[in-house]
Amino acid sequence: MANLRRPRSAAHSLGRRRALTAPVAAGALVRLLTERFGSDLRDLWTDEDTVEFQTDASRAHDQLRTLRDDPDLAFFMLADAAAVDYGTGTRFEVVYHLFSWKHPGWLRLRVHVDRSDPRIATITDLWEGAMFHEREMYDMMGIVFEGNRDLRRIYMSPDYRSFPHRKDFVLPDDAADSPAAGVNPLERPETWDLTRFNQAPDITFPTSELRDDAPAEAVEDGATRADTGRPR
Amino acid sequence: MDFELILGIGRFLLATTLLLLLTVPTAFVIIQMEMKIIAQMNLRFGPNRVGPRGIFQSTIHGFKVLAKEDTIPDQADRGTFTLAPWMVYMAAAMSMLVIPFAPGAVAANFNIGIVYFFAVLGLSVVGLLVAGWASYNKYSLLGGLRSAAQMVSYEIPLTLSIVGAVVLAGTLNFSELIAWQRENVWLFIAQPVGVGIFYISSLAEVNRTPFDMVEADSELVAGPFTEYSGMRFGFFFFAEYVALFIMSGILVSLFFGGWLAPWPFPAQLDGFGGTLYGIFWFFLKTYIFVFIAVWLRATLPRVRVDQLMGMAWKVLLPLALVNLFITAIVVVVLDL
Amino acid sequence: MTKIDPETRIPDPIELDRIEEDRLRAVAGLAPVRAEGGEYAGFDQVGLPDRPPQTDREREIYTLGEGEMLVNMGPQHPSTHGVMRLVVKVRGEIIVDIDPVLGYLHRGIEKLCENATYTTVLTYVDPMDYLATMNNEHAPAIAFEKLYGIQPPKRAEYIRALVVELERVSSHGLMMGFLALDMGGITPILYAFINRDEIVDLLSAISGQRMLFNFFRVGGVNFDTNDEFLSRLGTWRGRVLKNIEMNERLITDNEIFRSRTIDMGTLTGRDAISLGVTGPNLRASGVPFDVRKAQPYSIYNELEFDVITQTGGDSYARYLQRIAEIKQSIHLIDQIIDKMPHGPVQAQVPGIIRPKPGRAYAAIESPRGLYSVYAISDGGPNPYRFRMRDPSFISLQAMPKLMPGRLVADTMAIMASLDPVMGGVDK
Repeated sequence: MANLRRPRSAAHSLGRRRALTAPVAAGALVRLLTERFGSDLRDLWTDEDTVEFQTDASRAHDQLRTLRDDPDLAFFMLADAAAVDYGTGTRFEVVYHLFSWKHPGWLRLRVHVDRSDPRIATITDLWEGAMFHEREMYDMMGIVFEGNRDLRRIYMSPDYRSFPHRKDFVLPDDAADSPAAGVNPLERPETWDLTRFNQAPDITFPTSELRDDAPAEAVEDGATRADTGRPR
Repeated sequence: MDFELILGIGRFLLATTLLLLLTVPTAFVIIQMEMKIIAQMNLRFGPNRVGPRGIFQSTIHGFKVLAKEDTIPDQADRGTFTLAPWMVYMAAAMSMLVIPFAPGAVAANFNIGIVYFFAVLGLSVVGLLVAGWASYNKYSLLGGLRSAAQMVSYEIPLTLSIVGAVVLAGTLNFSELIAWQRENVWLFIAQPVGVGIFYISSLAEVNRTPFDMVEADSELVAGPFTEYSGMRFGFFFFAEYVALFIMSGILVSLFFGGWLAPWPFPAQLDGFGGTLYGIFWFFLKTYIFVFIAVWLRATLPRVRVDQLMGMAWKVLLPLALVNLFITAIVVVVLDL
Repeated sequence: MTKIDPETRIPDPIELDRIEEDRLRAVAGLAPVRAEGGEYAGFDQVGLPDRPPQTDREREIYTLGEGEMLVNMGPQHPSTHGVMRLVVKVRGEIIVDIDPVLGYLHRGIEKLCENATYTTVLTYVDPMDYLATMNNEHAPAIAFEKLYGIQPPKRAEYIRALVVELERVSSHGLMMGFLALDMGGITPILYAFINRDEIVDLLSAISGQRMLFNFFRVGGVNFDTNDEFLSRLGTWRGRVLKNIEMNERLITDNEIFRSRTIDMGTLTGRDAISLGVTGPNLRASGVPFDVRKAQPYSIYNELEFDVITQTGGDSYARYLQRIAEIKQSIHLIDQIIDKMPHGPVQAQVPGIIRPKPGRAYAAIESPRGLYSVYAISDGGPNPYRFRMRDPSFISLQAMPKLMPGRLVADTMAIMASLDPVMGGVDK
C-alpha cells in the first residue's frame, strides 16, 4: 500500500510543542499576536491549519476582545467554544476557536480554568452566540461564566446536580462507582421499593413446550412453524 | 282540513327528510374525494384497503366517529356544549332548503330565497361561538372568537358579491334567477368579479384552506373543537363539508346556471326525465367546484389570520362594492 | 354510569410521580425536590417553572406583565423539527419573548464517545443531524485523520464529497417541504420526499443503509462505488432538476407563501455573525462565509464553485438560498463524477487506532452550517475529549432575536426557515 502518511512531518509533532517554524502563511499572524499580547502569549503552537496559544482565565476576555476588535487581527467569528476536563486535581480548559478572513487557518485559544473554583468571564458581550455554548459548558462541566445573564442548565433538567462531562462522572451504568452517584434516588438500590412486586398478580405465560398438560403443536412433516401460523 | 295544506305539509316533510338524508352521504363522498384527490396530487395512493380502491374509507370513518367515547369536560356547561354542534349542523341543513336541485325540486321556493339563505348561514357563527365558550377552555374560546371573526368578516363580501347578480336578474328567488339565466346569459359571464369574490369568501366561510388557520393542526390551538370528541366532533366535521357542498351549490345556482345544461345540450327538459336531467347537471357542476376547493387545499399554504382579515375588509369588500356600483350603473344606463 | 363525587380528587399522574419521587428522596435522606412558596406556585400557570427564577434572563421571561400570557409549544409538535419546547410569552397574538427549552433528545454522545474506539465514534455520531448523516461522520473522520497523521486516498475523498453533496441536496429539498408544511401546504413535503427517497436509495446502494450510514472510516470510506450505485446515480441525476423544479413551482411564486415569508424573521449579517449563525442562514443574510471556501477541506480546492449569498436575510431569502445551494450541489456532483480518480478507497489503518497525543480541530460545511469537531487524543484507543459543535444548536439562538413582535403563527414558519434539526441541537 502506498505511503499515505502526510507529506509534511507534522504528524510526529502533534501534541508536542514545536518551535516557531510555523508555515510561512501563518508568520504574519504569529508576529501580530506576539506584538499585541507579548508576554501573555504562552505556549504558541502552530500546525498547518491552526495557530494555538494558551492563556489564563483572568486574561482571556480581554484577549478575545482584542482579537475581535483589532483591525489587523479581525477574528470576527467564534467558531466553537468547548470545555475540556483534564482530571481531578488538574485544570479545566475552555477552548475557543476563531476565524478571520485575514489569516489562514483557525486560531485556537486555550484558557486554563482552575478546577477547584471554575470561574471565567463570559464572552456573551462579545458574541451573543456564546450564550448557548456557555450554558452547555456550565451544564456539562460546571464552569461558571461570570456575567452571563442566563447561566442555567440547557440539556439536563434544572434540578440536576451533577456535571456529566467531568472525568469523575461515570456513565449511569456505573452509577454506583461514581462519586456523583445517586443524584437521582432511582439510581440507588436502597431506595427501591421491591415490596410492591409482591402485590403483582400471578400471571405467567408458559409456552406450549413448557406446559406439561398441553403438547406442543403438531406440525406436519416438512412444515415449519410459519406454515401453521395464521394466514396473513 | 284543507287537502292542499296537508299535501303541502307532507311534501315539505318529505323534502326536508330527503335533504337531511342527503347531507350524510354528501359529506362522506366529499371526504372520500378529498382523501383520494389530495393523495393523487401528492403522488401517493390514498386509502385503498377498505372496499374496492378504498371507496368505503370515509363511511368507516363515520362509523368510527360514532363509536368513540363521548367526553364532556367536567366544568363545561353541558347544555350549551351539547347544543353547539346541533346549531352548526342545523344552520347548514336549513340553508339547504332553498337550493334548487332541479326544475320544481326545491324544498322551499321562497320569494326571498337568497336573503333567507344568507341569513340562516350566519347561524353557524353562533354555533362556533357557543362551542368555544362552552368548552371551558381559554384556547377554545380564543379559537372560537377567531373563527367567528373570520366568518363574520367574510359574510359581508359574500353577500355583496351576489347583489350584482340579483340586480341583473331582478329577483331574489333562486328558481326565477335560474330561469333568467336560461333566457339570458349565465351570470358568471356577466359578473366575473362577483364569482371570484363569492368563491373566495365562501372558502373562508367554510374554513377551508387557504383560510383554515382556525382549525389548522400545525397551529397552536385546535380551535373551538378542542374539547369535542366522538360524534359531537363528527357533527362539526360533517357540517363543514356539507357547508362546502352548499356553498358550491349556491355558486352554481347563482352564477353557473343551476340545473341548466351548458350550450350543446338542451337547457331543460320536461317532466320527470327533466327533473333527473336537472339534478344530474346540478350535481355535476357542484362537484366540479367542490373538486376545485379540494384542489386548492392540496396546493396552497395557509393565509395568516391578520392577512386573512385584511383581505376581507381591505380588498374583497371594496371590490364587491365597486362591482355593485358598476352593475347598477350599467343596468340603469342600458335599461335592462 | 356511576356518578363520581367531584370532591374526591384523583391525583394527576404528574402528582403521583412527584409523590413517589419525594418518598424516595425521604428514604434516601434527601430533601424533597419542590421549592416552597415564592411567586411561582407550581404548575398552576402553564410554562412557569416550579421554582424561583435562577438567572436574570429567566426572571425577565417568566415575569408576566399586563395582558401577557405564557403559552407552551410543547415537546410534541405537529411540526417536525423534533422534540423541543418553546415557552412563548404572548400578549394577545403578538409574541413578546421566547425561551427554547432543550434537552429532550440529549443522548450524551460526547460522553459516550469517550468510551468508544475511534471507529466506533463514527457510528455514534450518525444520529446527531439525522437528515444529513454523512456530514456528522465527515468532520470526526477528518479530525481523527489529523490526529493520526494520515490522509485518505484521493478516491476516498471524492466519494466522501459526492455523498456529502448528495446529502446536501436531500436535506435542502426537505427544508423546502417542511417550510411549506409548517404553513399548511401539504404537497411540497411529499414531493421533497420523492427526491430524498431517491437519494436515500442511491446511498443505500453504496453503503447498505438508508439513514444512519456508518460509511466513513478513519482513512477513507468503507465501500467503493458499485454498478448499482452508479446506475442509480445516473437515473437520479437525470431526474433531480425536474423534481426540484416541480417542487419549486408550487412554492416560490406562490403569493400566499411569499406574503408569509418575505420580511419575516429578518436577520442582519452583523447579528448573524454575533449570534454564531452559519451556513445557508448566514449566507442568506449576505455574509459570504462558506467553510468549503474559507477553510477548504477534502477536495473542495479542486472543485469550481462560488459562494452564493442573498440580500435580505428574511425567511424568503433563506428559502431561495437553499434552492440555489441545491443547484450548486448538483453542479458540484457533476464535477466530482467527472474528476473522480481511480484508486483505493480506504487507507490501511488498524481497526483500533491509537493516535499520538494531540489535538485536532476539523470544520466542515454541513447543510445546516459550520459543523466542527475538536478531538483530543491521549494516545489510547479512545478519544480523550470529543467535542462536536452543531450548527443547529447555535442557530437556534436566533429565535429569541427574530420572534418578538411577530405573530404566533409565524413561529413555526421562521423556525422552519432556520431549519434546525433537534438531533444536532440536543446531541
